[in-house]
Amino acid sequence: MRLLASLALQNLGRRKARSLLLIMAVAVASGVVFTGATLMRSIDSSMAVGFTRLGADMMVVPEGALTNITAALLTVEPTDLVLDQDLFARAGIASVSRAAPQKIARVEHSGIGSHHDSVDLIGFDAALDFTVRPWLVEKINRDMRPGDVILGAARAAPLGSELLIFGKAHTVYGRLGKTGVGTHERGVFMTFDTLEALAGSIHGHGHGHGGGPPAVLQKGKVSGFLVELAPGATPLQARFAILSTLKGVKVVTGDSTMSGIRQGLAALLNGILALMVLMFASTALMVSVLFSAIVTERRGELGLLKAIGARRGQIVGMMVIEAVIATGAGGVLGVALGVLVMRLYERSLVYYLENIGVPFVWLDGPRIVIVAVAAVVMASIIGALGSLYPAWRASRRDPYDLVRGEG
Amino acid sequence: MLTCRGLRKDYVTERGEVAAVAGIDLEIAAGRYAAIIGRSGSGKSSLMAMIGGLSRPSQGQVTVDGTDIWSLSENALAAFRNKRIGYVFQFASLLPTLRLVDNVALPAMLGGGARSSTTYARAAALLGQMGLGDYLDAYPSEVSAGEQRRAVIARALINEPALILADEPTSDLDEQTEIEIMDELLAVNRERGTTLVLVTHNLALAEQAEQIVHIAHGTLVP
Ligand SMILES: Nc1ncnc2c1ncn2[C@@H]1O[C@H](COP(=O)(O)OP(=O)(O)OP(=O)(O)O)[C@@H](O)[C@H]1O
Ligand SMILES: [Mg+2]
Repeated sequence: MRLLASLALQNLGRRKARSLLLIMAVAVASGVVFTGATLMRSIDSSMAVGFTRLGADMMVVPEGALTNITAALLTVEPTDLVLDQDLFARAGIASVSRAAPQKIARVEHSGIGSHHDSVDLIGFDAALDFTVRPWLVEKINRDMRPGDVILGAARAAPLGSELLIFGKAHTVYGRLGKTGVGTHERGVFMTFDTLEALAGSIHGHGHGHGGGPPAVLQKGKVSGFLVELAPGATPLQARFAILSTLKGVKVVTGDSTMSGIRQGLAALLNGILALMVLMFASTALMVSVLFSAIVTERRGELGLLKAIGARRGQIVGMMVIEAVIATGAGGVLGVALGVLVMRLYERSLVYYLENIGVPFVWLDGPRIVIVAVAAVVMASIIGALGSLYPAWRASRRDPYDLVRGEG
Repeated sequence: MLTCRGLRKDYVTERGEVAAVAGIDLEIAAGRYAAIIGRSGSGKSSLMAMIGGLSRPSQGQVTVDGTDIWSLSENALAAFRNKRIGYVFQFASLLPTLRLVDNVALPAMLGGGARSSTTYARAAALLGQMGLGDYLDAYPSEVSAGEQRRAVIARALINEPALILADEPTSDLDEQTEIEIMDELLAVNRERGTTLVLVTHNLALAEQAEQIVHIAHGTLVP
């Protein structure tokens, strides 16, 4: 085995330029595949997170509210429009199993972040919430109390530290995980009571009208509801039920927004996948053609090896190892290139995706490693498959024919 | 030790079938030095290749030490070539990417079993014996044709084969070198009792043989 490997390595070293070209070609292919797969899996799991972990199937907001698709699943865009907090509790709609109200106030000069940063203060109903606290990744070891705030993933402050909001002291209770939804990641979350208690401190800074605090900070008013469908209910049924029961509301369904995007994206991803498969297939063909030529070129030596007692398996093994070393190296190089490219374009990519409404969270480290390993393994398999047939065919021949250089 | 029965080799070419070996019966006793002679194209190399397990006969049997070699499985035949036969080709036959010492050690390494340090020590000793002690680390392209041929003989000996098949091992070398190389082969035959089958054009060399096999047009000339 070691002997075959060293023979294979020496053979690679004989035509350095050719070996290098092979490695580069495989590197390009596996780099594309690695990058594509990582992005695909990232987007895919981001989408899955958006749908399953957040749990909201649709959202109900005031009729005139502008909704941003990215933020839709978690938060509404802050507007001056409000709904009654007990809207759903009063209506009792059968196709809705949960409706979590949220209050959102976009404020400036709050004391959080730098002076002119606007900050979303997001209030949730502790009893009904199913989109905020499931995301807690770390928290103080006690129940939440009035005056506690939870920070989105993009905000850093030690747990338990004091946070001044409009001069009032709050305690950092916990931090949320990354969601890929900007409003969620940059938000400062608190219970309704805590948010309402700030009403007196916020004046004039919020929404331009010069006067008092945003309407949503009034007791009993909310910016919108995140809705979970009852088991078996279709979005269409729920939408119909809500619109016919509640007045002055607008329903944003996963169907019409996220899942539309999701389907478009799925088509795109399938396209990418098909492209990746084609790319791999053509690389495999290329390796196969190349190794047919290499085998022909080395016929005499292979015959000689057979003549002095190399078994067929050893002949095939030597050629396959040679191919696998080259394509495996190509795979490793490709992954390295892919990582480099993703690093370089990370910011614009994430920005672009969030702009078109796709929440984006990178795959976690271990999974990227798995994708990388898979890319390298696939590249190696291509080498093995591409070289196997030519090597196997040559190994079948009589050594004397090979040495004499026929066929 | 070596028996051929009804041995034939037909090559299929565009101009029809060529009978390179057209039915040969042959016996060579163990430890003998046999010379095969005949004109160019008479089928000597084809016969040698069938005896050495390199070229499958179209018909007939080759028996070495009681084993019908062409009825062996692929791997058993590979092991036979590896362990029992030392083949010296008509042309340069060293692997260009390997040093002389690696080339010589290669058959033993392919066969597995022996430790590589002892194998390399033996390879170095054999090369020394062939007068190539200073060229262990040289690559084939860095030594002369005669030196390459000696290295091939060293390689043929590494697994201590029972049968050495040398197909015109010296035809492309000068007379002095030819004599030296033949001396090495004959010494192996005498001292180790290894059976030697030599194809040669050189009648003086053939006359020293204990047995002369004369071939014309693929058949024995009595
Ligand atoms: N692979 C082949 N395909 C077709 N014909 C072949 C093949 N190998 C040998 N021959 C033919 O078979 C005949 C015997 O060839 P072989 O090489 O055995 O002769 P030889 O006695 O060794 O000759 P030389 O002394 O020149 O080496 C020749 O006519 C040759 O052309
Ligand atoms: Mg010949």
